[in-house]
Amino acid sequence: MKQHTIPRIITKLIVPFILLFGLYVQFHGEISAGGGFQAGVIFASGFILYNVIFGINVGEKILPIGLTISIMAFGIFLYIFVGLLGILMGGNYLDYNLLGESKVQGQIIGIFLVELGVGITVSSVMILIYYSFNKFEDNK
Amino acid sequence: MITRNLFAAIMSTTIFSLLCALIFLLMDGVDVSLTEAAVGAGISTILYLSALKHTHIIIKPSKHAAAPLVVIFILMLILLGAMTYDIPNVGEPNSASNSRVTQHYIDRSNKEMGIPNMVTSILASYRGFDTLGEVVVIFIAGISVIGILRNKKAKS
Repeated sequence: MKQHTIPRIITKLIVPFILLFGLYVQFHGEISAGGGFQAGVIFASGFILYNVIFGINVGEKILPIGLTISIMAFGIFLYIFVGLLGILMGGNYLDYNLLGESKVQGQIIGIFLVELGVGITVSSVMILIYYSFNKFEDNK
Repeated sequence: MITRNLFAAIMSTTIFSLLCALIFLLMDGVDVSLTEAAVGAGISTILYLSALKHTHIIIKPSKHAAAPLVVIFILMLILLGAMTYDIPNVGEPNSASNSRVTQHYIDRSNKEMGIPNMVTSILASYRGFDTLGEVVVIFIAGISVIGILRNKKAKS
């Protein structure tokens, strides 16, 4: 892919916007369409597109496999931690009412953190599956 | 459409997903449509194509007889087709999914959560435990793919 000029230029132009759109869907999930899952997938597809065009070694310098696995676990840990925070504040598991000063504020904080956890896990799992298919070559 | 060319099969799946996303959009399911476009048409195509690197593009004819499979396929088609008569019409006010729970969400979601997108509030807060389960499923899928493909490398 490295010798094709047109895909390379187009990718360089388009990847920042895909990543930005992913972040937009992540952080504006509560006021527009989408949420953590969609945002994670969009973000991952932008990153994977870059890997497809410029080779997997370039992508791996930015995001090594070991780091991706840690990030994947971090996302799910964030979700579970927010749930446990509800218990620590004196409520039920995944009860966001007590996280903020008022109930509504607590819900907004809880939903934001939970969606962030979902987005982080989904995007790193997608990137990791792509790595696995392309990195661990079978010698057929 | 029957084909032995896996590349053509992947592309047809992608186009089907894209059309599904348009149908969901026309039915005002914006969140579902975004998911279908991102997952079905976007990332699964890339992952299928990556998997295609490990196999042949044209699959060989199978040694097993196709007749039993065709019979099962037609039976499933008839069964599932018959089931669709039990699905309530779109926007049917008396259907099970449009009963009290939906009304509760519509009336109180904005007051309780303070966010306009009802889908997000249901997914993340009212049914937060379901979403936690979904994320765990995705996490396990990621772990299994790494496990399977790493073992493959170690053997060869």
